[in-house]
Amino acid sequence: MAESSTAKIDYLSALTAGLWKENPTFRLLIGMCPPLAVTTAVKPALTMGLCVIFVLVCSNVAISLMRNLLKPHLRIIMFTLSIAAFVTIADLYLRAFSPKMSEALGAYVPLIIVNCIIIFRAEACASKCNVWVSILDGIGSGTGFTLALCVLAGIREILAAGTFFDYRVMPKAFVPWAAMQMPVGAFVTLGLLLGLATLITTKRAD
Amino acid sequence: MDNMYVLMMGFLSVVIVNNFVFTKFLGTCPYLGVSGRLDTAFGMGLAVTFVTALSGILTWLVDYYILVPNGLEITRYVCYILIIAGAVQLVEMYVRKFFPALYRTFGIFLPLISTNCVILGICLFINIWAIDNLAEVAVLSTGVGIGFTLAICIMAAIRENLALVDVPESLKGAPITLITAGLLTMAFMGFAGMIK
Amino acid sequence: MLKAIRYYIEQSWLLIVSAFFFGLLIAVANAAWSGKADTNKKAKLSNLMKNLVQNAAKFEVAIKDANVADGKGKLLKTDIYKAVDENGNGLGFAYITSGTGFADKIELIIAVDADCGKFLGFEILYANETPGFGDKIKKDEFRNQFKNAPAEPVSLIKAGDRKKIDNEIVAITGATVTSTAVTNIFNKSIVSVKEALQQKGLIK
Repeated sequence: MAESSTAKIDYLSALTAGLWKENPTFRLLIGMCPPLAVTTAVKPALTMGLCVIFVLVCSNVAISLMRNLLKPHLRIIMFTLSIAAFVTIADLYLRAFSPKMSEALGAYVPLIIVNCIIIFRAEACASKCNVWVSILDGIGSGTGFTLALCVLAGIREILAAGTFFDYRVMPKAFVPWAAMQMPVGAFVTLGLLLGLATLITTKRAD
Repeated sequence: MDNMYVLMMGFLSVVIVNNFVFTKFLGTCPYLGVSGRLDTAFGMGLAVTFVTALSGILTWLVDYYILVPNGLEITRYVCYILIIAGAVQLVEMYVRKFFPALYRTFGIFLPLISTNCVILGICLFINIWAIDNLAEVAVLSTGVGIGFTLAICIMAAIRENLALVDVPESLKGAPITLITAGLLTMAFMGFAGMIK
Repeated sequence: MLKAIRYYIEQSWLLIVSAFFFGLLIAVANAAWSGKADTNKKAKLSNLMKNLVQNAAKFEVAIKDANVADGKGKLLKTDIYKAVDENGNGLGFAYITSGTGFADKIELIIAVDADCGKFLGFEILYANETPGFGDKIKKDEFRNQFKNAPAEPVSLIKAGDRKKIDNEIVAITGATVTSTAVTNIFNKSIVSVKEALQQKGLIK
């Protein structure tokens, strides 16, 4: 009885850890390239997030299934191999069913392969835990990542174009803030958001 | 002469104007993580330059002579990442065996490098830009590494000074680095339009 | 020898097996979806060309791998498409070419009418120009200047009437480099396209 209840807590924490406590972007500061690159608008950011969730869950499942067979020195190459395979599939899917998004994301879809989040989750969770925990962990971390992307993209899209998810939200008189669409907007917004995240954490700890 | 001009412009373009860190956000992780000290940043930059040059050329050769003629473009990503991992491994072994002193300076970064976005990034962009001669590939992939070294060294130098500055408590560390990086990209935007 | 081989196989069998497995997975996905991806690509191209050439029913390849100059005058091998209406009459030609913009490559589809006397305008395939400045080449007020302009090299002027259709193109304020890049692409490519079409006897 006692054993099953701890197991339950494990499942729950696997799912929720990625949302805030171990949020890849705000707390762990890994995989910083997509949050900067694809967040000029919410739509590509959301697509990117979904792709990462897909790849993360699939690779977690694959690695968790073969975790007992892994040789230590061939571990990393097995990780990258399975990640690359799933990224190729995600890329193909986008090209077939959402050509516009595939074009907007461009090289950043294949670059998911070298996104540290996925290899980090593979190393930290999937190569140690069973399949179900790995799936939940993948969903949790992926969702945390997607949320971070969407927050950042939302701020940038509203300020740079006056729209949110392609719907106009700002009054007509609003002058678009073009700098937010440029690299500088990405860096500064993410920097301020990280500062805010640190502030919240320290306030909570007090 | 004309070719020389194209090569020069391509080199300047990837080092300064289209610096991968500032315009394409590739390699931001080590940019934030390692750039605390100038000498380690420089070591990291050199190691990356070495691997980008090697893997840029290798992936292009494989793509041009094996994948495209056989219609295997679909396995491109898998091949690229395996080549990069292999190249990193080879470089590590070679340097450890023949240049132990060099290994001590940048060898520790080598295993980290295979997941550096700059490297896969240049391999993919060479493909997207549809570059079709080896000289240009070599120049561009070396240039990207040099551009990365430039960016990471500038950042490290700034951060060495930032350590003495009174930064708001919650902005210390990564946030202020990102904001500084933002200001740096604005400075680098001044170079845009230089390449015609 | 045998022992060594056995050792390698023991060490790497998982890698080999999973490489096969993932290869199979990719092959299945490719077989299922690559056709659709290709159709998407073609549909996008023909939709963009349809915006340029009114009443066009379909586009056929008129010259395969023709020599078309880019913004610097370097010859690229790209197809020149011929637009035909429902009755099979030629309406015009369209081609893809590129040049260097302010920050990145600019890739355009340019269309001319059936006897290569007038431009029918351009559509952007790829551009990554500065938001608020260079990206104004996407706006109609800039693009419409090329519509129905004589298919001769154009010149760029700083100020003037954008409504007047002639070979003087009014540049975008604050984006001279981008405007120059676009006019250069037009100037260099139209000469080479005319040549290619004349050689094939498609125009006089």
